[in-house]
Amino acid sequence: MVIRNTQDLNIGDELPTFIRKGTVEHWNRFAAVNDEFAPHHWDYDVAKNEGFDAPFAMAPLQMSFFNALLRTWMGEQGRIISLSAKLKSPFFKEQTLVVTGRVTELQILETETYIDIELMQADTDNKTVAIGTAQVALAN
Amino acid sequence: MKDSLVTDDMQNIVGKVMRESVSHPVSTSDIRKWAISVYYPEEPPRLFWDEEYAATTTHGGIVAPEEFNPFAWSTQKPSLDEPKVSGTAFSERELGIEPPKYKAILLSEIRENYSDVRIRPGDVIRATHRITNYFEREGRMGHMLYTTLSNEWHNQSEQWIRTTESVFIRY
Repeated sequence: MVIRNTQDLNIGDELPTFIRKGTVEHWNRFAAVNDEFAPHHWDYDVAKNEGFDAPFAMAPLQMSFFNALLRTWMGEQGRIISLSAKLKSPFFKEQTLVVTGRVTELQILETETYIDIELMQADTDNKTVAIGTAQVALAN
Repeated sequence: MKDSLVTDDMQNIVGKVMRESVSHPVSTSDIRKWAISVYYPEEPPRLFWDEEYAATTTHGGIVAPEEFNPFAWSTQKPSLDEPKVSGTAFSERELGIEPPKYKAILLSEIRENYSDVRIRPGDVIRATHRITNYFEREGRMGHMLYTTLSNEWHNQSEQWIRTTESVFIRY
């Protein structure tokens, strides 16, 4: 669903979820474009030596998922002003990540509406993987 | 708390420019591949790969996703034949300072601020990196050093593109 009219927006609106599984096929593609090959993203022994149960996703990929969530909801007319995220626990390989967002504030200006959004990523066990906030702008 | 890992030399480089990077001209193919990799296994938005379609949008052509990285693999500055000072995202060695010993480096927090200027094919992006803060905490992994790295991007017309603050943990 793409927002067509800022007048339809309400505080509490949920953004359509963005869901991805932590697969080698996906992470390899991202590693290739971001030149990101730290062994803890694919080597179980390295991940364990660093204190983790399994290899885990790249933080920039998780940030990309937040950006993608916002873009899918806003459509091409919207623009992302800011996006912050804290990574609370790793997104482990073979887990499924569910990325969600909720409108928390609306600021209606002359030509644009500024929208504050609360963001979250949770894994298969519903454990919080990342939390964040974003501000986006949509033309009125 | 254990003794601080932050030496006087490290404190003295806070705020100083650590590195300036200049990208190669961004190609449409770079943008397409980035978008495909992020949205995999689904098809990315046409704005990022279909030139004909993108020309009909308010953007007037293909633009890059906001988080696109034009510095992967190789840059104009530093060039490939310059010795790599750091194998990780940053190192105090880039300013001639010895970093503390650590076994892992992780990204724990990212704060992005974007301008309304998008990256387009042909753009050359300049990034300025600075360490802006150090702090330490005891955590699940023991004594941890947090380092905030600020990274400001401008295009070839000196238009501000984005500023990223990344908080790295070393332990």
